[in-house]
Amino acid sequence: MDKAQRSKFTRIAAGIAAAAVVVLGGMYIAGSASGSVPPATVDFANISAEQKQKLFDRGLQVFRAADCAACHSSPTTGAELAGGMAMVTPMGTLYGTNISPSREHGIGKWSADDLYRAVARGMAPGRKNLYPAMPYASYHDITRADVDALWVWLQAQSAVEVANRSPEMNFPFSIRPGLALWNALERPAGGPAPEAVNTLDRGAYLVNTLGHCGECHTPRTSSFAMDLKQSLAGNVIEGAYAPDLRPKSMAARGWSERDLLQFLRTGLSPQGVMTMGMFPVLQHSSAHMEEADLKAMAAYLMQGEKPESRPPVAEAPQTSTSANGERVYLGLCAGCHGVDGQGQPHSSLRLDTNTTAMFPTPLNLVRVIREGLPERDLAHGERMQAMPGFADQLSHEDMADLVNYMRLRWGRQKGDVTPSQVADAIRSAESH
Amino acid sequence: MQQRIQFSATINGQKTGPHELPKDLMMIEFLQEYAGLNGTRLGCGQGVCRACTIIVDEPGKGPHAVPACVTGVAWLNGKSLRTIEGAARTDDTGRIMASAVQKAFLEHFSFQCGYCTPGFVNSATVLMEQLQARPVDADAVEEAVEAALDKHICRCTGYVRYYHAVRDLILATPGLTTGQRTREVSRHG
Repeated sequence: MDKAQRSKFTRIAAGIAAAAVVVLGGMYIAGSASGSVPPATVDFANISAEQKQKLFDRGLQVFRAADCAACHSSPTTGAELAGGMAMVTPMGTLYGTNISPSREHGIGKWSADDLYRAVARGMAPGRKNLYPAMPYASYHDITRADVDALWVWLQAQSAVEVANRSPEMNFPFSIRPGLALWNALERPAGGPAPEAVNTLDRGAYLVNTLGHCGECHTPRTSSFAMDLKQSLAGNVIEGAYAPDLRPKSMAARGWSERDLLQFLRTGLSPQGVMTMGMFPVLQHSSAHMEEADLKAMAAYLMQGEKPESRPPVAEAPQTSTSANGERVYLGLCAGCHGVDGQGQPHSSLRLDTNTTAMFPTPLNLVRVIREGLPERDLAHGERMQAMPGFADQLSHEDMADLVNYMRLRWGRQKGDVTPSQVADAIRSAESH
Repeated sequence: MQQRIQFSATINGQKTGPHELPKDLMMIEFLQEYAGLNGTRLGCGQGVCRACTIIVDEPGKGPHAVPACVTGVAWLNGKSLRTIEGAARTDDTGRIMASAVQKAFLEHFSFQCGYCTPGFVNSATVLMEQLQARPVDADAVEEAVEAALDKHICRCTGYVRYYHAVRDLILATPGLTTGQRTREVSRHG
């Protein structure tokens, strides 16, 4: 390379570097900005006691519907605003923050505008990017009126003087300003949703925005954003399968609006029980929501689809493995769940209508059988007794045969789960 | 699968079977209705109270406790089992000798109505045998006892006498613990 060529190369490299700096700088500025903040819907300095009470009541409903407590509770004391709950992600571990009105550790110094920026735009005061585990990608179109009510409710709670635990993210995700680049690419644009005027709009707002159901149930892209082309299509997260919530898939698994309402309200329906990641949803959110809102969610999720009628299955189809599967089922499961999967009210789930065997992946079925389930007080008087785990009794071969028996008999799935797939499911679960 | 199965097992050291049984029969029904072994108690019928606990001895796994009310003969077919009838031994003179666990329960007045006792005896026996293979730190005996007996429900004596009996037996039996005991042996809860 002669001198002239070297000079040309240097100029090109410098040009590319400068362009990269400009692009990245632009992305940083865009991704760490909060955009315009819609004006508050109330004059907080001049509200009557009656108005304040209305805001307080609505704020509590927003807090429940948005399931803030699922992540911002204390895992040790259970205090709902204290923070500390660990969220294990492929990029590292984050801890829910203190959102009580503590002026030192919580959000006691925040204005309602600050709360809007955090909830809808992922930006804390001081141009501090929040990690997207705070689901601002879902909350982005929260109404300003809901934020105002939430702010009134939060500020009226007791301060919890507990320090926040620092994130333990892997490099390069530990560089917080880098999140601005993610925001520039992935943070949804657009302002608040209009106030819902009908049931389906209200349901959409509760499912997609406040309920942020897609954060678990929507597949992720390679940049770990929700793949909105496949909204609510089902996703494996934290070692479990969050099922497909699209209407036709729900109907194919036997869901109706009525059963879905019962499931959201009590944690239990013929299709199954709230467990794994859904139990905290029941505990902190859906069990406390107003019935009209739960009905709206059910109506939106079902979109008028009716459950597919399914002929009762007397016997599992005979296959080479189903004889052993039936042996294991009758030996270890039928004592509680019944020979025909009929279950026992308030103690053992019925399996003949349970949807877990219908999922495309056997992951959840393998996990529940291996690990068991704790005794649960669900909600509104509904409950389930403990299920023991059978990890130490079942070989991978027996587990595969049992899972196949259940999937063939009640899941309308092929009985093609292999022992090595069982081993994969166990590894996947144990890595979380 | 046929509606009936041929069931054989070794129960308390005696081979039994083949018996033609309904394929969905639970083990406790077999013990009480077919084998004449009535000592295993049916409590909740849901695998919760553990009154029906029996012992399964499996090569490679060692002894473990299972609830006979919800464990089917289909699963236990061909296995080696112990029930409460197998706990005591008969000496050369024909005298019945209670097992160490049974003696400890008697000495501590552990039970009153006795309905849950067969289950406690079997789970405590499994714990003793597991500790022979894998001793526990002498200061961690209480936790080991609680882990083994926690699921068992008793409605008369409030557990304390059962727990103390098993704790004292473990501490008095050579080879079940490691290290020196430094923790005070409580007589109160």
